[in-house]
Amino acid sequence: MTSPIAAYDLGRIPYGEALEFQRRAVSSRAAGARGDAIWFAEHEPVLTVGRAGRAESLRASEAMLLARGVAIVPVERGGDITYHGPGQIVAYPILALSDLPSGRDLHRYLRDLEEVLIQALAAYGLRAGRRPPYTGVWVGELKVAAIGVAVRRWITFHGFALNVDPDLTHFDWIHPCGIRDLGVTSLRSLLGEPPPKAHVLARLRESFAEVWHRPVVETPWNAGEESSAREPLHA
Amino acid sequence: MPVTIVVPQLGESVVEGTVGKWLKKEGDPIAKDEPIVEIITDKINIELPAPAAGTLGKITIPEGTVAQVGQELGVILGPGESLPAGGGGAGAPAGARATPQRQQESPARPAPSAGPGGAPQGGAPAREPARAGAAVAEPSYTDDQRLSPAVRKLVKEHSLDLSGIRGSGTGGRVTREDVLNHIEAGKVAVSAGAPRPGGPQAQPGKAPTPAPTQPTRPIPAPAFTQPGSREEEVQPLTNVRKKIAENMLRSRHSAAHCATWDEVDMTDLVELRARLKERALATYGVKLTYMPFIIKAVVRALREYPVLNASMTETEIHFKKYYNIGVAVHRDQGLIVPVVHDADRKTLLQIAQEIEDLGVRARSDKLTLNDIQGGTFTVTNAGMFGATASTPIINYPEVGVLGVHLIQERPVVRDHRIVIRQMMTLVLSFDHRLVDGTPAVQFLHRVKELLEDPEGWLLDSI
Repeated sequence: MTSPIAAYDLGRIPYGEALEFQRRAVSSRAAGARGDAIWFAEHEPVLTVGRAGRAESLRASEAMLLARGVAIVPVERGGDITYHGPGQIVAYPILALSDLPSGRDLHRYLRDLEEVLIQALAAYGLRAGRRPPYTGVWVGELKVAAIGVAVRRWITFHGFALNVDPDLTHFDWIHPCGIRDLGVTSLRSLLGEPPPKAHVLARLRESFAEVWHRPVVETPWNAGEESSAREPLHA
Repeated sequence: MPVTIVVPQLGESVVEGTVGKWLKKEGDPIAKDEPIVEIITDKINIELPAPAAGTLGKITIPEGTVAQVGQELGVILGPGESLPAGGGGAGAPAGARATPQRQQESPARPAPSAGPGGAPQGGAPAREPARAGAAVAEPSYTDDQRLSPAVRKLVKEHSLDLSGIRGSGTGGRVTREDVLNHIEAGKVAVSAGAPRPGGPQAQPGKAPTPAPTQPTRPIPAPAFTQPGSREEEVQPLTNVRKKIAENMLRSRHSAAHCATWDEVDMTDLVELRARLKERALATYGVKLTYMPFIIKAVVRALREYPVLNASMTETEIHFKKYYNIGVAVHRDQGLIVPVVHDADRKTLLQIAQEIEDLGVRARSDKLTLNDIQGGTFTVTNAGMFGATASTPIINYPEVGVLGVHLIQERPVVRDHRIVIRQMMTLVLSFDHRLVDGTPAVQFLHRVKELLEDPEGWLLDSI
């Protein structure tokens, strides 16, 4: 239960590539060929649509998105439409649910992800919180992090997206998560200027470790290794 | 032996999920542990692994349908096996039986053994599924229901059929109390009417209707008692309507609604506005309604009573130092509340123009996210349609909403004489959790004062 979780920073990579990596990593984690991991990444502007996606949640015209090179990617996570783009830290925990203190409890897992974000944001003096019935993390009425998760063979993938300093006007392309009456915000908007990314990553690692009572170890990312889907990273 | 795919325990607070996508079709070969169907709960989508290898014999619950924890989703067949007649997999008799019970929550389902005249509606709600052979005495349960030994014993002793008992425990689990209540309810039915050999499973509609419902000359029942005999038009709920319903209920459930009202003498404002209206239209092409005056008065009063411009969390009060006033707009698609941002920094004309623009865009579905976000207080005009009073629902998490109504000539007493004045009822709904009665009444009174003497403050108004 206290085996370490490896934390990787994938840097800025195309969404599709990260998605492919994740799906492979889930298989190898399920097969026991790799240990639990959390991936951090940043993406070019992209819209992803979860299983609860509805056409009305897209506000921008597809022609405009096409012209800007913004893809709309249907994915297997729960939730409606969401936006990813530069300035956002996306976290993908790929781990066996049964190895977490809460075990195979899906709602508890969502609440844990929220808790990780709430604790990490507290380090910046932000009182972030939940807004039941919505999943996600909010400061006041504004959403600062979105959550959408998938589980395959009891291995989690997808995760959350924390708005550090994204172009918030891009969220006008959608009704984020299908919620029309609540807005989005970022650490830049909340704090005046965004904290350094490395600092936020460090805080997130600490919060993950705290919430799950597992050491979270920063580990160098080897893309070549990942794409060959071989990675015996640790037992 | 055929193996049933059931919704597993997915977490302590998870009692149901929506079937997202079947990853296999009926007849597809299946390997054990292969993802077979998606279940969506909250923001999680989980792919359920196949409990056994074989072929997918049957999809019981189609995509998009809500399924309870423990409910049968489908059946996997081994080599050479076929579906047993009557549906469900032989491996889980009670699981299969639980399905019809949960699906037929509607009491309108006609019971085959209902009394003469077919009017069972008056009796107790028909919770029990109308089972053809009412004499089934053998207890049936499944491990999925995880009965405690005490409950198991009770069920056995009384020869109960679990599918007729509604579970109140986590995930619909049947508790000892549920069983006792069920037995108790059965006793009542039995003692009130004809006992049946089947035990406490008596048809509720039948028992208490011996003599009175069998008159010598039958009286024809009024048409409206026959379900389905009157024309009804069924429309799907639009997302806008769903959202409105959700917001209204959230407000009702979250805030402590309280209302106070007052009569406002609008005579001076009516005259002033009549004069300004012409000029606004001629010079600026702007339609000057009463709303900009009301908004300006509200903002002034909010400055003096900041608690009405606040919102609260479990641990904090947020006093807003900006004044974003929502204006409820009626439209055919459903109510929406666009926001006049920073109303304290805008002139009457600007506000008038903005309200007009927001109204037009609201009705043509052209509002942006920004247009409907960030409100701190709301004004709603039910007078537009002739209402003389109403108690609006707070636009949660705001803590106050002002209802303005029809301005009409009413007799009032001034200096001991009855005179005719242009009167309007103002109603303030406020969240009594945060706003005490005194500031609420004082705030409303302040708005009244301002509206009754517009020239006293419009001069120094931005």
